[in-house]
Amino acid sequence: MDLFPLLLTIKVSFTATVFTVITGLALAYLMAKKDFFGKDVLDALVMQPLVIPPTVLGYYLLTVFGRSSHLGGFLEDFAGVQIVFTWKGAVVASIISSLPLFVKPARAALEGVGADLENAARLLGKTEFEIIRTVTLPLAWRGIAAGAVMSFARATGEFGATLMVAGNIPGLTQTLPIAIYDAVQSGDYRAANTLVGVITVFSFLVLFLAGRFTKGRF
Amino acid sequence: MSLRFKLKKSFSTGFSIDAGFAVEEELLVLFGPSGAGKTQILKMISGIITPDEGAVSVGGETLFDSSRHINVPIRERKIGYLFQDYALFPHMTVFGNISYGISRLEKRRVSEKVAELIGVMRLSGLEDRYPHELSGGQKQRTALARTLAAEPRILLLDEPFSALDYQVREKLRADLLNIHKIYPITTIFVTHDLEEAFMLGRSIAVINNGRLEQTGPRDELFYRPRTRNVARFLGFRNIFDGTVEAADGSQVAIRTRELGLIKAGVPSGWTPSAGQKVSFCIRPEEVIVIRPDRVLGDRVQDNVLEGEILDVVGKGSTHVLYLKMHGEREASGMISGGQASESESTTVHSEDSPRLAAGSFKAGEGAALLKVEVPNFVLRKLALARGKRIRVSLKREDVWIIP
Repeated sequence: MDLFPLLLTIKVSFTATVFTVITGLALAYLMAKKDFFGKDVLDALVMQPLVIPPTVLGYYLLTVFGRSSHLGGFLEDFAGVQIVFTWKGAVVASIISSLPLFVKPARAALEGVGADLENAARLLGKTEFEIIRTVTLPLAWRGIAAGAVMSFARATGEFGATLMVAGNIPGLTQTLPIAIYDAVQSGDYRAANTLVGVITVFSFLVLFLAGRFTKGRF
Repeated sequence: MSLRFKLKKSFSTGFSIDAGFAVEEELLVLFGPSGAGKTQILKMISGIITPDEGAVSVGGETLFDSSRHINVPIRERKIGYLFQDYALFPHMTVFGNISYGISRLEKRRVSEKVAELIGVMRLSGLEDRYPHELSGGQKQRTALARTLAAEPRILLLDEPFSALDYQVREKLRADLLNIHKIYPITTIFVTHDLEEAFMLGRSIAVINNGRLEQTGPRDELFYRPRTRNVARFLGFRNIFDGTVEAADGSQVAIRTRELGLIKAGVPSGWTPSAGQKVSFCIRPEEVIVIRPDRVLGDRVQDNVLEGEILDVVGKGSTHVLYLKMHGEREASGMISGGQASESESTTVHSEDSPRLAAGSFKAGEGAALLKVEVPNFVLRKLALARGKRIRVSLKREDVWIIP
């Protein structure tokens, strides 16, 4: 059996989750703790991938990162990075579509750390960074971890947007969900069954372990 | 260290605060009903809420001044703040919580300091417990220890006992006075509990609707309130309006519709003139119930009145009588011969809820309710019960005129 789709999916999902957690944490913190103009607009924008069809999302990404676009051209000319029709395109698609699934629980967890707790730390002479490190994150990490697991799971199942941006190039950009689609299309049900089994067991294990891991005292 | 502030802030709800006073080296109780703005004042002093305008200074150092654009960050203010729900860090042990603010110190110094505070706060043996494994009183003491460890210049306590039950509260009040002796830090203690205010505050500031009503030494406020609101909040349940009928230098006679003619002492700094409208008040526990079996003597009692007991409400160690008074049908005619005896006057007892006013009964046209608080043994001895008519005396030195 060709293991490439599975390995690619894991690689794409891990990379995407790392980026999602970094950018998502900044967004979630901003929205949980600060008041600023346009907060609702930003929230609506981040949540878009939950409601927008994946193909539409993929089309947007193609337009933004395509070689003929400003950003795509800039990335290719100056950084030598090509997004569209590479595995990096699959990463970008996964990040955008899994971001809302991370931001929502992470924001709720950060909001759950009461202002009084942070103020108590401020009154004891701590800087904002020290407070985030010693109070906010330790108390919110369970929600953040849950969000990370959700976004990882979402990334492993990403199909529509990935197909639009990264395409379906076997051995290059063909992720597991796309490989399943491909197998069914070509009538190879044995391969489809195996792949479906693999992804089912994998998804279940991820959620099960995450649930056990995040059980705690407080 | 002294604390001075004068702060203004309007909230989006329409509520506004405009208050200020100075606290010297002492424990001041900030007293007022719920929603009066007590917590907001503490939050503005500490910097958690930024005031619209005003100034805050501690020991001469300006922490906030809107006209000079000074706003020292919270972490540099060195203000101790005890939150109503303690705000202990749930993921840290008692030791972790107490040492949190002094983690920059040398490790040995930290242990010494925490050990000292744990001793003073009676937390020995609980160092490794988490907040959810502590009782309410232990949480409260841990929070206080955490605050004191950082050696604040002033201490702000926001109703620290409100979440605890009665017995624990009483013990903790005594504890707090003790701790204040060991660490004599300028302290503002916020409460809406009258008994607590009386027990803790050498000085009291009464706040209502975001405004300061009166501030001063405890006894001055408790027995000589300057405004109707202060009188009401501080347990003067019996507040009446009348007109000055006659006055000499030290005494004034006030004509009232409900109680007839009432004689009272004249507060200093007030010159009564005939025809002037005034309010006066007397604490329920200062009203004296006259024993019916004794005849009144030559020494005529002040302001002897007759009333019918409408209801008797038990309050633990005392009972409250609601007396229906019959206006001009004065009891003075009944005063004739014999020595009046009075029930032992009680020490100050307060109500848990300042709102439980005498308004729950309708006294009827031309009549008024007088609230009388008597110790339980007086109630038993005189067999005071609903429907009975009794005579009471309002001693003129206990009738306080609100100028």
